[in-house]
Amino acid sequence: MSELLSVQHLTKSFQTSSQQPVCILNDISFSLQAGESMAVCGESGSGKSTLLFVLGGLLPLDKGHIFFQQQPIVYNHLVASSEIGYVFQHYQLIEELNVEENIYLPSRIQQKTVDRHFFNKIVDLLKIASLLQRQTTHLSGGECQRIAIARTLLTQPKLILADEPTGSLDEATGMRVMDLFFYVCQTLGTSFILVTHNAVFAEKTNKVFYLKRGKMSDEKD
Amino acid sequence: MQSWVVALAFKYLFPKGRWGTFFTWVSIVGVSAGVALLTVVLSIMNGFDKNIAEKLVQVNGSVKVLSNQPIRDYKGWLKMIQETSHVDAVTPFIHGVALVQKGNHVAFPKCLGVDPASAHHVFPLDKFSTQKDCVQLKKDAWVSPQIARDLNLAVGETFDLYSPLSLESIKNDEIILPQEVCVENIFQTGWGEVDRDTVIFPLEYLQEAYGLEGCIHGFSLKVDKEHIEEVCKALNAQLPTKLRSYAWYELNEDFLYVLKMEKSMCFFVLLFVIAIAAFSMSSGLTFSVVRKQREISLLRSWGASRKAIVQLFCLQSVILSFLGVCMGLGVAGILLYYRNEIVHVLTGWFIPKNALWNFYNVEKLPMAFSGTDVGATVVLTFVITFFAGLLPAFKAAKIPVMKGLRRE
Repeated sequence: MSELLSVQHLTKSFQTSSQQPVCILNDISFSLQAGESMAVCGESGSGKSTLLFVLGGLLPLDKGHIFFQQQPIVYNHLVASSEIGYVFQHYQLIEELNVEENIYLPSRIQQKTVDRHFFNKIVDLLKIASLLQRQTTHLSGGECQRIAIARTLLTQPKLILADEPTGSLDEATGMRVMDLFFYVCQTLGTSFILVTHNAVFAEKTNKVFYLKRGKMSDEKD
Repeated sequence: MQSWVVALAFKYLFPKGRWGTFFTWVSIVGVSAGVALLTVVLSIMNGFDKNIAEKLVQVNGSVKVLSNQPIRDYKGWLKMIQETSHVDAVTPFIHGVALVQKGNHVAFPKCLGVDPASAHHVFPLDKFSTQKDCVQLKKDAWVSPQIARDLNLAVGETFDLYSPLSLESIKNDEIILPQEVCVENIFQTGWGEVDRDTVIFPLEYLQEAYGLEGCIHGFSLKVDKEHIEEVCKALNAQLPTKLRSYAWYELNEDFLYVLKMEKSMCFFVLLFVIAIAAFSMSSGLTFSVVRKQREISLLRSWGASRKAIVQLFCLQSVILSFLGVCMGLGVAGILLYYRNEIVHVLTGWFIPKNALWNFYNVEKLPMAFSGTDVGATVVLTFVITFFAGLLPAFKAAKIPVMKGLRRE
């Protein structure tokens, strides 16, 4: 397996109103192999989402280095957008578009040619074939999140950064959605970093890290 | 521009399964109202301008040759003018004022003396005549409708004419009796100034009344409108310095300037309707940007550039203005087509039906479609709405990616 992501001494602080910078991520280092999955757990406000945004190049880092496929991740660089996909807690589907158009949109933005067989495969795996022509305003939370996952997978990212994807779903629906997510990523060989509070989901990944006071460890306490 | 930008811009304005959003229709209707209003007002003003130009040519001729003193031996000049290329017809004339009286009724009309043999070639006397059997000036006077009303005159009746020469004789203690003139016809040109107080006489009649001894005051010419300038140049090159030719628009330069100014002011004022519609569109788009911060951040996280986001919102303003312009032109077309019916209904409600038509001397509301005016309206609408769309577009592009995503 080749190294997909390498994080070295990553540090990120935020300026607060009291002029004292608060260190959210402090000297974090880890790596992820292609096809591997990882869970990041931690209390609310511990910096889990910030970590994902920095990894995706959506936030600048203060110190350290991030290498994605041996290339440094640069803040706001579009290459990162086409290779890294996101799944958010709120699915953020575009209500003016129907399901199929929503799924295709990121691929169109990234000007990626979509293979119809691959599209059908994802649709079948996520069991959303019957929803394709529907408006997103008429869908349940579980359906919306499956569509958000399909939307991300269609761009064929090497890495998915999933930020509490079941956060707004009930337990049973969240479980079904995550089972599908794990299964599809495994089938397609897609790596992912999952931010979650749910220990059950975390245990299903290859690695589990815990964020506490800006530090990362592989032990819960 | 990428295809997704175009597709998403259309979807934002016309989501699937809906005939557009409230904002979409408010914006389109606003722009279309401005465009329709400008097109209708300018077309009707153009119609009036065209009518006025036609009337001015009809009552004066398209070119006049004038002198600051009576022209003697005019027949030589008449021949020379007639032989000038593109001159279709020419007639000599005399003009002045006189006192006319019938019983206790007195008036001071403008008097015009024209050659009965050639006048009808320059002036459409047959159109001016109110008597079907009298289409040419013969040996008596044609009076305007207002003079006929003031002196209580009818065709076949007579009135007394006191010329300036008669008044001059009074100074010398001579008594010259007034000339008795018969009304041959009552004419109506449709040009208020002429119809108010004019009497037309045969040339020789007025020459005698004014004591001009065969002199005239000038010539009226009929010339194709394409050759007016050319004819004026040719004549001015040949005529002596005391005689000079003038095109109808030179003689009415100030009046035409006022008309042009009126039109420009109307255009300027009505442009504000489009500006207000554009600002309404801009505030609608700004609201949309605020509402869609998450979506904009999401698009940026997928790799959409700031330029693409600017294009996405600018394109919406362009689409809205395009549809507004199309709808506005359509509405203007319908309003102009049914303009007379609409005005008849409106005047029927508010004022006596014929007052408006009598005041403007028109039977129908005139209209002239000008490609230049419509082009200017369309271009300015696009420019104004485009700039109005830039503000929300730049606002959208400036949204930091994290700002929208962090809100969750």
